Amino acid sequence: MSATQIAGRMAGVDAGAPIRQSSLWQDAWRRYLRNRGAVAAGAVFLLLVVWCLVAPLVSPHDPNEVDFASAYQGPSWSHPFGTDQFGRDLFTRAALGGRISIGIGFGATLAILGIGVVYGAISGFVGGKLDNALMRFLDALYGLPYLPFAILALAIVGTVDFWTMVVALSIASWFITARVVRGQIIILKENDYVRAAKAVGVRWYAILGRHLLPNTLGVLVITIFLELPGVILGEAFLSFLGLGINPPDASWGSMAQDGRDSYRAHPHIIIIPSLAIATLVLCANFIADGLRDALDPRTKET
Amino acid sequence: MRLRVRVLLAAALVVAVAVVAAGCGGGGDTKGAAGDAGPAKNQVLRMAWGAEPPSLDPGLATDTTSSNVLLNIMDPLVRLGPDLQPVPALAESWDVDGKVVTFHLRDDGRWTNGDPVTARDFEYSWKRTLDPKLAADYAYQLYGIVGAEAYNNAKPAQAAALRDKVGVKAVDDRTLRVTLTSAQPWFVQQAAHHSFLAVHQPTVEQYGAKWTEPQNIVTNGPFELAGWKHDASITLVKNADWRNAGKVALDRVEGRIIVDGTTRVQAFEAGEVDALDGGGLPPADMPRLKQLPEYEKYPALGTYYYGFNLKNIPDVNQRRAMAFAIDRQSIIDNVAQADQIPASGMVPKGMPGFETIEQHFLPPRADLEKAKQFMARADDPKQKITLFYNDAPGHKEIAVAVQAMWKELGIDTTIKAQEFAQYLEFLGPPPNNAVDMYRLGWIADYGDPMNFLELWTSKSGNNNSNFASPAYDRLIEKARNTPDDEQRYELYRQAEAMLTGPNGALPIAPIYWYTYTNLERESVKDTFQINPLDQFDLSKVVIKEA
Amino acid sequence: MAAYIIRRLVWTVPVVLLVILMTFLLMKQIEGNPFRQTERAVPAAVQANLERKFSLDRPWYVQYANYVKGVATGDLGPSLVLRDRTVNDIVKEQFPRSVELGLLAFGWAVLLGVPAGVLAALKPNSRFDYGSMLFSNVGFALPNFLVATLLIYFVSVKWGLLPTSGWTTWQHKILPSFTLGLVPMAYFARLVRGTMLETLQQDYVRTAKAKGLRWRRVVTVHVLRNSLIPVVTAAAPLLGYIITGSFIVENIFAVPGIGRYYVTAVSARDYSVVMGLTVLLSVIVIVANLVVDILYGILDPRTQEARG
Repeated sequence: MSATQIAGRMAGVDAGAPIRQSSLWQDAWRRYLRNRGAVAAGAVFLLLVVWCLVAPLVSPHDPNEVDFASAYQGPSWSHPFGTDQFGRDLFTRAALGGRISIGIGFGATLAILGIGVVYGAISGFVGGKLDNALMRFLDALYGLPYLPFAILALAIVGTVDFWTMVVALSIASWFITARVVRGQIIILKENDYVRAAKAVGVRWYAILGRHLLPNTLGVLVITIFLELPGVILGEAFLSFLGLGINPPDASWGSMAQDGRDSYRAHPHIIIIPSLAIATLVLCANFIADGLRDALDPRTKET
Repeated sequence: MRLRVRVLLAAALVVAVAVVAAGCGGGGDTKGAAGDAGPAKNQVLRMAWGAEPPSLDPGLATDTTSSNVLLNIMDPLVRLGPDLQPVPALAESWDVDGKVVTFHLRDDGRWTNGDPVTARDFEYSWKRTLDPKLAADYAYQLYGIVGAEAYNNAKPAQAAALRDKVGVKAVDDRTLRVTLTSAQPWFVQQAAHHSFLAVHQPTVEQYGAKWTEPQNIVTNGPFELAGWKHDASITLVKNADWRNAGKVALDRVEGRIIVDGTTRVQAFEAGEVDALDGGGLPPADMPRLKQLPEYEKYPALGTYYYGFNLKNIPDVNQRRAMAFAIDRQSIIDNVAQADQIPASGMVPKGMPGFETIEQHFLPPRADLEKAKQFMARADDPKQKITLFYNDAPGHKEIAVAVQAMWKELGIDTTIKAQEFAQYLEFLGPPPNNAVDMYRLGWIADYGDPMNFLELWTSKSGNNNSNFASPAYDRLIEKARNTPDDEQRYELYRQAEAMLTGPNGALPIAPIYWYTYTNLERESVKDTFQINPLDQFDLSKVVIKEA
Repeated sequence: MAAYIIRRLVWTVPVVLLVILMTFLLMKQIEGNPFRQTERAVPAAVQANLERKFSLDRPWYVQYANYVKGVATGDLGPSLVLRDRTVNDIVKEQFPRSVELGLLAFGWAVLLGVPAGVLAALKPNSRFDYGSMLFSNVGFALPNFLVATLLIYFVSVKWGLLPTSGWTTWQHKILPSFTLGLVPMAYFARLVRGTMLETLQQDYVRTAKAKGLRWRRVVTVHVLRNSLIPVVTAAAPLLGYIITGSFIVENIFAVPGIGRYYVTAVSARDYSVVMGLTVLLSVIVIVANLVVDILYGILDPRTQEARG
């Protein structure tokens, strides 16, 4: 589903008064729980995150210890995911890589939301000529591929680490989010209680902060899970293009890239991180679908 | 909602099947053994080039691919023999008289348009390469010639005057006289480099930058450039009018440009190409590739090393400790995996004079005991160091291995990568203070140790180590003016000792001496040969009956 | 409508200029030397000659002004690294191949993705529905360099059915375009299925069905038409994906397009090529957006102004 479409649908959500908010979220939560696919995806997702957080803590293997004697082992009891060319335990390293990948994923997604919300909120809230200018600008940028700009951004900083990766992946990916947020704000702005608040002289930032932004939360939560797959795959693309994160850090993308050359002899080295990426992306898709269904009471389940 | 769950589960299943299928892959490649069969009827070689040549203009080309295409479509004055000594090519002989080298050209050199190849073509070409307006990257390859550097440096107003002072002169059609700035015993060898090839003046002047396109280009070598689809393919056909065409077996060379290493190997294994260009096989796949009957390796003249920043790691004992802690053989066996040779010095094995020059100080295997002794003697050793490398394939893995080896000395190494184009500028000179250690390599331009040892003079543009020794500079300058091989090798030995000998300053920790690895179909394996300067001569290749 | 189009067109100019300026300034921030591609140190004289030749010794605003002037007259300048060629040469020779790759990928997506979505929606919860949704989910989730590597291995190396790489005959074009088409295919299948299901539940469809209109006619005339609107809208973001994906697909399959050269050009600091390609890609995306919005307006006039 495209984000714009969701925005359209979300517009139908009762953008109602703050009083009703808690019950709105409770309803949504109940609806989400009825969606077994989304629940399963959510559970797998949580498991993945927990594994990434816990596995390195309890693992008996030092993820960075080089021991050529045990290099290129296939999966076994002591190394459930096998070992890499340096004899490092891939179970532990994949979990560490997951921390980086998921971290970058959420970091960049939040950055995208941040920029999008600011841009969209200003545009939608201020309205008029400024809105017009900002939107015409977005119309043109909309759909601009992020990769060239990510490559340029990484080339500028030179060394690739966690934060530079976050910046590179968010720098040209926020156009859609901005548009969605603006659409929401414009609709909410016309609500009676907002008009009322304005009429009694509530300051603009209070209106924006207390009435408008909280009500866009639903869209934003969905957007997180809509953007996440793209960002995670984007990180993998950049790793493939030789712009991966620097050692000793490794992400799933850079681990998969490391394994590509030896895919014939030792396929597990590329397959395991690729699988992790695929699982994460699948889960995020299902969660996003589930959230959309849950937060939009109009759509009936099939 | 059952649908969703099923889809999710099934998706996981499909991925799992893909894993198993990939895991079960491999095998099934059976190759017919090549006997001592005669030449095949069809003499068409299909090969894979590792890059799009940035330029096929001898004055502008700087990379290996361009160089190898050029050396097969052009006729150099000399070629390098098996021992890297010059052998006659277009020049049938030459005289060396101190600083003056005179080449005598054959009378049967022909351009593909029928014009004879003369000494004037060379005079024109070399001066063209030095012309500041052409702005040739490799102009400095010719700086050994009198007046060359001044002309290349010239302001537009003085250019014409300085051009006439360049020490290259066509005495007549078949005699080329070159005056050098000093007696450079390697100059004749150096003339085998593609920067010293001749270009066809009328063609260059008629077509400008487009003269290298296949429809315009005029060449004088064993093959003609029949097609060049940029980034896709390079097709060479035999030049039937070449002076030695009777000896050339190949009718055509159909080259495809495949940059990605894994794809190149796949194209070979699918039988689409018969030989790769020696541009390197993916290191991680080496253990498997080495088992193939088509695997071939060649010694190279090149040194892979880690440089120290002497300002940041000032104690020579710490540098010795770090150099002794590196297990070169283990890096070669487990990481680089291309049968490289553990390096004990800057000058690589196979270089003329190597036996004299070699220092036997740095061991191929780590000597941790000795390393720790050195470390104990080090005054306030630096425990946290930063190691830089450029992000080309293979370097990261070696850095990770070395990082683990230095950990044994209690040294905590941070590894940082940079892109090549930025990396070199970042390192210096002047050496960057943020760098404690850096990776670099050097592949020979010509077969004399000078090419390696002059890097460490204090004014060298490649010396990023803060190693600056007037005594070393004097040795190199003296060697430059010593035509006698044995005397010069002795000077080189002293210089190498100052770098990597027992009392040397160790501005570098050499890791290995390069090899070239390649895949070649058994029908061409005997005749497709890569020399230590990474050049191959397609005019010698014969495809055998399979 | 005409006013809308004109307004959009007018806005395109400053945006393109801004994109050029942004890329230009970004490029200037990147350290590195396009004239040092090997370990060999470049003597100062050689460096100076090269900078003079390519006008890199001028102040940045002069360079920018000259560049914009060049773009306006259709001249993207010489390549700093590929010395025998200009950026125009590169675009002229290699861009059509990238376009072909992108169109073929899009073709796969429409050819397989749309029917899969339609059929899945007509028979929800059938085996076919599961199968196609499964396929599209996996196609979406796996990194395309893994897919490409495995496809080449199985289809070309192991089974010998198609060539591994290159871009000469139609056989060469199957694997790269299919790999690149996977994500759009999955996207279309899911999108069409979703909107079809929704449309099928609309009252007018139910009424039409109840009134006894021929089902096939209902589907083709009403349902499909309405369901294809989102496909048109999706074309613009998909174009972005195809450009991004082409960087990797061209690399692995040795397709001599411009996508693979972009990355090489950035790492080689080939400023003019990077500039030229970025401007080209941006203009394409901007124009595509414009066309899509206009198409959208024609297909569904109601929504025109809602798009802000």
